[in-house]
Amino acid sequence: MADQRYGICGCGRGRRGALDSLVLGLVNAEAYALDAEATATRPGFLQSVDPRIKVLALVALIVATTATRSLVVLAALFVAAVALALISRIGPGRLARQVWVGVLIFSGIIVLPAIFLVPGTPIVHLPVVGWAITLQGLRSAAFVVGRAETAATLALLIVLTTPWPHVLKALASLGVPAAAVAVLGMTYRYVFVLIEAARHMMEARRSRIVAPLDGRERRRMLMTAIGMLLAKTFALGSDVHAAMIARGYRGEVRLLHDFHTRPPDWVFLAIALAVPALILGLQP
Amino acid sequence: MTATAFQFDDVTFAYRTQRALEGVSLTIRSGERVALLGANGSGKSTLLRMMDALCFPASGTATAFAAPLTEAAFQDDATNYAFRRRVGLVFQNPDVQLFNPTVSDELAFGPLQLGWEKPKVRDAVDTVSARFGIAHLKDRPPHRLSGGEKKRVALASVLITEPDVLLLDEPTAALDPASRANLVGFLAREPGAGRTVVTATHDLDIVEDIADRAIVLAEGRVVADGPVLAVLHDVDLLRRTHLVFEHRHSHGGPPAGSHGHMHSSRQEG
Repeated sequence: MADQRYGICGCGRGRRGALDSLVLGLVNAEAYALDAEATATRPGFLQSVDPRIKVLALVALIVATTATRSLVVLAALFVAAVALALISRIGPGRLARQVWVGVLIFSGIIVLPAIFLVPGTPIVHLPVVGWAITLQGLRSAAFVVGRAETAATLALLIVLTTPWPHVLKALASLGVPAAAVAVLGMTYRYVFVLIEAARHMMEARRSRIVAPLDGRERRRMLMTAIGMLLAKTFALGSDVHAAMIARGYRGEVRLLHDFHTRPPDWVFLAIALAVPALILGLQP
Repeated sequence: MTATAFQFDDVTFAYRTQRALEGVSLTIRSGERVALLGANGSGKSTLLRMMDALCFPASGTATAFAAPLTEAAFQDDATNYAFRRRVGLVFQNPDVQLFNPTVSDELAFGPLQLGWEKPKVRDAVDTVSARFGIAHLKDRPPHRLSGGEKKRVALASVLITEPDVLLLDEPTAALDPASRANLVGFLAREPGAGRTVVTATHDLDIVEDIADRAIVLAEGRVVADGPVLAVLHDVDLLRRTHLVFEHRHSHGGPPAGSHGHMHSSRQEG
């Protein structure tokens, strides 16, 4: 679908170049952001929580995830994260696609050597090479993968249940410097403008190509396109800065906050803060 | 006697080696509605940016409300704030101007930067969104708006501070006909008596509605300055400055039935 929409030939003869792949990646990112915005405005438990409370609570649970030294507690936190997702109308299929598979592959590759290298009780030997998988190695690997999966799930819940502007406002009201919040906000804001520009460049280029290009020519065009996009970014940045100055900006960003905290939000925060406190307090 | 909003005397300006303004002298009085006309690259936008103290003369003198428009003067916070309270610029590309996460934040940005109290800012956001018919867009991110909506939000985000001077850079660029008509209707009636409005455009069809005086620029120089109707009727001048061109067409009949007449550059597109 995306291939047809953005002019990439579906006949199989044309080979997708690096620029095409890059732009398709950006377009997919835009579609992902749209989808996240739709989820964030849907009714659900986390969607109804004051964004400041939600950010604090979920960050507290992430801290608990990294602090615990018990696999059982880690598993309980993972189950809690999935339960929060379910009552916020985010299904496990979506979590698996957007977090679990990717994190498992990434962290799995990192921890794979540990299951052989950590000394301990051997539980099985690999045929042919005879390497021993140790219980302690498996345990270490389970901690790394479990922590990464749980923390990523909790972080994704912030993004999927909170409109991005509210995440920014929540960060600002929690004491993150306004300049950092403004940079985050503008990055998100202008990435869409640049995606649009990149897409137009790609379409304009494709509309004028009548024969396959060799590798050298494709690389040259890719470099030119990247250079043009960079120049556009600088020009846009300069104009945006002028537009900010024109409306009184002098280096300090000021924001309006209009969040309202309800009693259930405080209860949620209290529970979320109690978890890392208990873990840190009780474990030896 | 009416006060002077802007006074330019023999002003020049260049972007590196490229001259943008050359010996520009003009006076704009408070309350005037002025159109800056000129083809692309004639210096309109640069002049507008200079009126908004975003660039400064390389030579010559420029003043706004009798105070000098110089880089040194604008290092002073008090001067800067006093000026920004009085002058607002709507950029040609709304994507440049709408840099906040939501429409509501966009509207609040100017007043907050100018030090308004937050309750006053909230009231102003509500008032201006109702006035511009954008209340339903307040929580939307600007990049999800249509071109017409973006223009309205950009205009509202400047007019929320009720500046004495409104500067508009190609306000009708890239708008569909309905959005264009709405915007022109607004500009014709809304800025209000007493506000100085300077519009840079090459859309001649709207000039009579939004301005009483027209200044024509070509290659960075002022080549004409007078009442709108006098300038618009000077076909020779408009042709010389590439604001109109002769267009020959037929109305479906034989070639002998074709005729030629003038078109402005907008109609061309």
